[in-house]
Amino acid sequence: MNRLHIGLTLRIVAVLAVMGIAVFPLYWMFVTALSSDADLFASEARLWPDFSQFGVFVDALAEGETVRWLRNSLVIAVGTTAMSIGLGIPLGYALSRFSFRGKVLTTVVLLLTQMLPEALMVVPLFSLFNRFDLLDSLIGLILANSAFVLPIVALILKGAIDGIPRELEEAGRVDGARPLTMLVRINVPLIAPSIAAAAVIAFFHAWNEFVFAVTFIYAPETQPASVGIASFIGEVGTPVQTVMAVAFMFTLPAVAFYLFAQKYVVAGMTAGAVKG
Amino acid sequence: MRKPRVRRATVAAATVVGLAAVVSTGCGSDSGSGSGSDGGVTTLTFAASTFGDPGRGPQLQEWIDEFNASQDEIRVEAASVPYPTFGQTVLTQMGGGEGPDLVRFDMPEFEAASDAGLIAPLDDLIDVSEYDLLEQPDQFMVHDDVRHGIIFEASNYAMFYNADLIPEPPTTYDAFFETAQALTSGDVFGLAFRQTEAEEAGVWQDIFNYVYGFGGAWSDGENLTINSPENLEGLQAYKDLYDANVIPRGADAATFRRMFAEGKVAMELNNGGYATHLRAESPDLNFNVAPIPFPERSQGAILAPIVINEASSAKDEAATFIQWALEPENQVSLQEILGASSVATATERTPESLQELPFLPTFDELTDSSLPQIVLGFEAQTPDIRKIVVQNVIAALQGTVDLQTALDTAQEQATELVG
Repeated sequence: MNRLHIGLTLRIVAVLAVMGIAVFPLYWMFVTALSSDADLFASEARLWPDFSQFGVFVDALAEGETVRWLRNSLVIAVGTTAMSIGLGIPLGYALSRFSFRGKVLTTVVLLLTQMLPEALMVVPLFSLFNRFDLLDSLIGLILANSAFVLPIVALILKGAIDGIPRELEEAGRVDGARPLTMLVRINVPLIAPSIAAAAVIAFFHAWNEFVFAVTFIYAPETQPASVGIASFIGEVGTPVQTVMAVAFMFTLPAVAFYLFAQKYVVAGMTAGAVKG
Repeated sequence: MRKPRVRRATVAAATVVGLAAVVSTGCGSDSGSGSGSDGGVTTLTFAASTFGDPGRGPQLQEWIDEFNASQDEIRVEAASVPYPTFGQTVLTQMGGGEGPDLVRFDMPEFEAASDAGLIAPLDDLIDVSEYDLLEQPDQFMVHDDVRHGIIFEASNYAMFYNADLIPEPPTTYDAFFETAQALTSGDVFGLAFRQTEAEEAGVWQDIFNYVYGFGGAWSDGENLTINSPENLEGLQAYKDLYDANVIPRGADAATFRRMFAEGKVAMELNNGGYATHLRAESPDLNFNVAPIPFPERSQGAILAPIVINEASSAKDEAATFIQWALEPENQVSLQEILGASSVATATERTPESLQELPFLPTFDELTDSSLPQIVLGFEAQTPDIRKIVVQNVIAALQGTVDLQTALDTAQEQATELVG
């Protein structure tokens, strides 16, 4: 009994420690946002938030910029996720199930795109976007982000589809199902956890993306939050508490999306685990 | 088992649908960039990193609003580009034939942009003989008899000190060092400066004062002199302060400036633009300004020209804005906003300004001995040389290599770079 208790306690401590490591940066942002100037540079760090400073959040939201930045980020992240998943599923399926000339080359090229830093692509993409009138546009950013994240999404989904027994599709084919039907009715439900995981990657990539956003967007109305937060860093001063307050708010939608997607990851992993 | 082969027609159809989707979404973009015309009003975009400053940004916006109120056919809008990536972002945009119509550059980026032909020559757009331009900073606006910019802000470097902690400012380097040491105790530091590679441009600005303040120079105009004995002496002084632990190591400029405002840092070398910000953010702070107490009265200056983008389709309108900015009353307004910085023309400080910032004459007297933070003779390559020098100096700070070797390496690498 005692041994059981010790084991349970150790496990709880381990879980709390891991949670602490993961959550601490978020908590520290919150505490810093709610610190006075004197607390920020005191010899002993303040570990608890000072809620009398809560006005920093109110002020950040009152000006309207923060809400607009977050809305733009949300549009970009949701758009990128939808586009990369929408195109990644058929691409992953094609790479997994069909044989065509240049298949290996296509896979290698997809992998190679992941080795190019974004900064390398800024100038040529800028030129291209300028020609197609995609600058200063949320749609342009969705396309740019999707182009970067699509290969990894497609490769994740290809791997997931590889793991589905072909016999399931053979059975569908016997019943007269076409490839598209087999993809939608058979494969997609079975790779739902991988789709959720890929969606998290795509969403986070677009949510955090900075290099394209800062270069391709001019108008304050179309700036996402990643650029907006950076705009607080001035030549001679930076309002640390405001930066932390906005950064804290910036993390919340991403965390919410992760929790939402995680539900599907877990649901997919446990689906079919219990046979009747 | 035979894998089904995808039909070519299917691939072609998918490609066409995909391309159509991309093109159709592209056509639906929100707006173009740069200048635009709407109902006879030409809208210009003006990018300046200072628009984001909590102290000066809103006042600069009001100054632009004054211009807009004075015009029927031209409107200027502030383009928001974050300071940390300002030069890189705007240069990329301009290189792509886009970007803001008007830009307030810092000198290294100004030189790079003018060398690359990204800035419109102003000689045919603005008759500068109508204005009483300050000669010392203005000389750097002209390359090979072609004017590329007009000074928007000239800000000399000086020593800011907390007057509660330091009743009498040091006047020699030794006294400066001793004061920094004496005041460093607990969570209070005697001095602060930038010392991390993440703040490359800032480190360059800081070490510039040590190099020139000890009689050194990055070049003689024709050859690089990075490892000259004078430079070594100046940078050794900088390193000695770092080694003496009188600065909050690892703190970035944003942090140590807040520490200065909180009385946790006693001295820092900074430019005049900081004074207005400090007064606005910390009105109760008892600070003062004195010349940098190094052997030579020579220090850096932030020169920030306003330029017209060569790709702008509204150069005449952009020139109208610059001409408006050069009008005496608008120069005074701008000077009031920028505080301890100077503007393009000689302006009188108002009694109100002198009462609020009594040290303004100290800054003004430094104008003749201040230099832009560029490598003379190698202006366009300054950003690349800066990178090399800062990397090597920081390696020396961190003890990876001794300072002489670091400077020798920087000299070799930079010489190879410039050819």
